[in-house]
Amino acid sequence: MKRRWTLYDPRLAWMLVAPVLLLLIFFLILPIAVMAGYTFFTFVTAGVETSALTTANWHEFLTDSYYSGFLLKTLRVGAITALLCGVLGYFPAYFIWATTFRHKWLLLLLLIVPFWISFTIRTFSWINILGEQGVINVALLKMGIIHEPLQMLYNEGAVILGMLHFLLPYMILNVYVSLESIDRTLISAARSMGCTSAQAFREVTLPLSLPGLAAGLLLCFVLAAGSYVTPQLLGSGRDALFGNLIYDTIMGELNWPMGATLSIVLFIVLGFFAAVYTRYMGMSQIVKGLGG
Amino acid sequence: MNRARRKQEGRWAWRLTGFVTVCVYIFMFAPIVATVVLSFNASMFGGFPMTGFSLQWYGKLMANEQVLAAFRTSLWIALVTAIVTTAIGVTTAFALVRFEFRGKQALSTLVILPALVPETILGVGLLVLIKAVDQPRTMLLLVLGHILLAVPYVVLIAQARMIGIRRVYEEAALSLGASRFSSFREITLPLLVPAVVGGALLAFTISFDNTSASLFWRPAGVETMPTQILSMLKISISPEINALGTVMILVTVGIPLVGGLILQSLTKLRRQGEPKEETQ
Amino acid sequence: MKLTTTKRLERLHDRYANGDLSRRTFLTLTAAAAASAGLSMPWMGRALAAVQEVRFDGWGGTVQDAIDKFAFQPYTGKTKIKVVQGTFGDEDEIITKIKTAKPGDYQVIHSSGVNYYIKYVNAGLTSEINEANIPNMANVLQPMIEPFRKLTPKLSAVPYDYGTTGIAYNTKVISPEEAKEKGAALLLDKKYAGKVGGYSDMTTRVWYAALATGQDPNNLKDMDAIWAKVRETRDLAKKFWSSGAELMDLLSKGEIVVTDAWSGRVAALQDQGHPIGYLDPSGSYAWMEDMLILKGSPMAECEELINFMLDPATSIAVAEGQSYPPSLDPTKVKLTEKIEKLPAFDKTGTMKSLTFADPTYWATNEDAWTKQWNRISKGA
Repeated sequence: MKRRWTLYDPRLAWMLVAPVLLLLIFFLILPIAVMAGYTFFTFVTAGVETSALTTANWHEFLTDSYYSGFLLKTLRVGAITALLCGVLGYFPAYFIWATTFRHKWLLLLLLIVPFWISFTIRTFSWINILGEQGVINVALLKMGIIHEPLQMLYNEGAVILGMLHFLLPYMILNVYVSLESIDRTLISAARSMGCTSAQAFREVTLPLSLPGLAAGLLLCFVLAAGSYVTPQLLGSGRDALFGNLIYDTIMGELNWPMGATLSIVLFIVLGFFAAVYTRYMGMSQIVKGLGG
Repeated sequence: MNRARRKQEGRWAWRLTGFVTVCVYIFMFAPIVATVVLSFNASMFGGFPMTGFSLQWYGKLMANEQVLAAFRTSLWIALVTAIVTTAIGVTTAFALVRFEFRGKQALSTLVILPALVPETILGVGLLVLIKAVDQPRTMLLLVLGHILLAVPYVVLIAQARMIGIRRVYEEAALSLGASRFSSFREITLPLLVPAVVGGALLAFTISFDNTSASLFWRPAGVETMPTQILSMLKISISPEINALGTVMILVTVGIPLVGGLILQSLTKLRRQGEPKEETQ
Repeated sequence: MKLTTTKRLERLHDRYANGDLSRRTFLTLTAAAAASAGLSMPWMGRALAAVQEVRFDGWGGTVQDAIDKFAFQPYTGKTKIKVVQGTFGDEDEIITKIKTAKPGDYQVIHSSGVNYYIKYVNAGLTSEINEANIPNMANVLQPMIEPFRKLTPKLSAVPYDYGTTGIAYNTKVISPEEAKEKGAALLLDKKYAGKVGGYSDMTTRVWYAALATGQDPNNLKDMDAIWAKVRETRDLAKKFWSSGAELMDLLSKGEIVVTDAWSGRVAALQDQGHPIGYLDPSGSYAWMEDMLILKGSPMAECEELINFMLDPATSIAVAEGQSYPPSLDPTKVKLTEKIEKLPAFDKTGTMKSLTFADPTYWATNEDAWTKQWNRISKGA
């Protein structure tokens, strides 16, 4: 016997989500599961592996300090980038929120425009600024301040700068969204009770915007630690991050079992940070921030 | 403490905030402006100082078969991705907002994962999977991959909008005898238009712009625009690449801006929805 | 993409007929192939519509420009067969792509000699040539063909040109006398720290480290010393380049003043009037390049193309254009004065003056050394 369909029937809901659910299963869950299995396969030679199970890849990962060194360095670069984003991103977010400027929408629009510009282009455009024939060097040479072009590209600073450039809009939007949700009467109340504007900021605005800041920090950290293109374009070989290591192991050495192992490691480590975050902050803030 | 001094401090803090804000905006746009300016450089070396104004690099670009092919490929992939992602993303958002079913919470978390998991991991994972089942890399795979990457954003945007549309409208239509589907089509969908268009535009740019994952997923011999730029950059930065960047910026910024403007005038004409409408 | 759907289906059917595939898999795969063809029509259209084309992958830049101008374009004009081209900067990178692609996606490769040839052969990627279809092979230097034949009696590749990886230096900064005196040691000269370059390639790096430590590159005894020297160059280097075009760019802009470099690219720079000198230190890394045909290629068309490329008139024009001497035997074919002046040119036709890498020796160490080089290049 068929059950009658009700309004908002769960069966209809499953039909509606089916395409996305299937996509998530086949392109997200299954790949990660298979990849986890692959970490136990045996590497024979470039491009050849057998399904004979081994723990050699994990053993190599855990005993070789080369890998853990890279992991720590990647986390360090990710953390520095996220913190810089937090510091530099809070000011504009606060400014846009608090300003009485009539064309506030323009500031917001300008914040969204970078999302539309190709990430590759935004990254390589830094070569036009920092390169030997870039804006800074040419200007300084012309003014006679330096006589030899400064070497500003292909180092860790350039990589962090590039990531900062790409992640700042995420941070600003996240903080802005959480500021926007603050009830402004709270601040007026604080002021009317004799708080200075600094006190009102410290006691009301800042604490209430912390969830947005935290979501932004997590997002920036995860995206920075997982990046591949920025170190590739703006760094030298030694500024490579874990993502580059994975790429080279998979595409260069053709060692897929090891590449899978490294991918799973990165997944677990970043997942750990995300889990700690959601444990305390919940997922909703990130959802708001991503939805723009 | 006297009030004047405090006020003074507040003013300085505000000025500092404004100053940092201006700096951040300059920081975000200076490299892009430099790239656009340099694309008109007459010299063949891609640097300052400019030696003259020239459009030759655009001409050269238009004659570059590889670049044009990559451009066409990316355009197609992005179009298909935008259409499909919007369709399945909006229905998912509809189900997530309007329905109660088991596993809903898990699904809404799962749906945003592709935006949080680094692309390198998604890239390797899918590659390992298709190797395990002995399938080649195809265009279809690349497109489905792009859809996966765009789905979270479309769902989130549609969800946010859907929450703002009150359920009573649909229920009123239903009680007046409209079918499920026609109530969705006549009531919900028109109210959703801004989210649909915004989501489609975002899906388009996400796909058009995708680099890391495409490097892993693209079939042999296929270049998308970003991977083509990346392989051109291996040689060196040239005015031709700057020109290419400028064209890309025109496409990816122009389309959403024009789309947003059209949308805004449409909403103004219809006078529906809240007045505060974000273009995205 | 270059493979038509019909061909792919035929291939599937072959595998099915041979019993490689179960009936079920065959049907699913057929359906998948058909579906993907249907779904990807917009961009498949061009590939399907093309009557005949050959895929070629080469080193890009001046070298490929010359091949395109003097060989491919006339060939297309004559036969109406289009040559679709791709480029790579590092041959291992293209081998990776071939391994993860379908047979026939890639067809003709401008490959760098026997030590790469062995990799394709071992991975089962090559396709045997019918030499009778390439009469112009008669003019090719026997000493160049022999090493290939030693690996596979039936060839899958035909030698096309050769060159060396010597030392290039900016004559405004380094005098020819100084270059001659220091030779390969220039790459380790602290005076030029931050202005040194090098090819981002394991073989080249190990080879030059071998010269620096006085070891035989084809029989290395002390690997620790080698890696120490590789690190030393890495620390002095501004950047390791990864394509010929990048090499030319760095040298011409003066961003680096000394680097190991491909002879033909340096000759091209000199032609453009840049103040770049070139020398081959003793034991300089010599290599040859060949046109290699991969599995799944349209053999008749590929053989016809290679025969056309080896035609003395074509080959000489290409050689002058790309600045690498051709594989033609100078005792059989009259070469031009310009070619005779090219760096690395061997007028005896014996190739005895050049040191090549021993393919089997290098192949056995490939995996381990590549891994170590990858680490060092990342700062380890």
